[in-house]
Amino acid sequence: MQNLIRELRAAAGLSQGKLATEMGVSRQTINAIETGRYTPSLPLAIALARFFSRPVEEVFDADADANDA
Amino acid sequence: MQMRMRMMHRSKWLVPSFAVALGLVYLAVQWAGGDPRGGLVSLAIMVAFAAALVAFSGRSSAIEVMRNPRADERSAMLDLRATAFAGLVVITAVIAAVFYELARGGDPSPYAQLGALGGVAYLVALFVLQRRS
Repeated sequence: MQNLIRELRAAAGLSQGKLATEMGVSRQTINAIETGRYTPSLPLAIALARFFSRPVEEVFDADADANDA
Repeated sequence: MQMRMRMMHRSKWLVPSFAVALGLVYLAVQWAGGDPRGGLVSLAIMVAFAAALVAFSGRSSAIEVMRNPRADERSAMLDLRATAFAGLVVITAVIAAVFYELARGGDPSPYAQLGALGGVAYLVALFVLQRRS
């Protein structure tokens, strides 16, 4: 599943570690989400979308495979 | 708006402590069985495993998951899948051992009982889990 987490995080000037701390997950989990290796649970996806003040469907594209990028 | 995920993790020391405790049980039962030297070797292996978990968890994501499988949702998912895979390997080996013993005219009972235990545990878990979710 493609997502905009990397772009939104970079725009906010946050490191993966800082975002991970804010979300209560590990830095590896943020990295895995950004690279499309891990699809987050619905609560985590909503938390990420809310953190960046975006609709969840704008942050995560359920119709696109991360490998298509 | 921030929504912090609920941290899932239990203590980072739980798994290493459990490994050491298991080593002590090895020592006790092997000592009781008349093999204290073997018990000390088993304890040393388990202590070394626990020490490796602590020493290398910061350098390897996989070891970090082993040390703290409930650190977050991805760790829990990896732990669950690895556990399922390990269980599949064990049950496959048990079934192969049953066939092997049957083919050589031996007694497959110990392996068959282990296989039955695995099958019953799976069924019970499936019935309980499907009621909860």
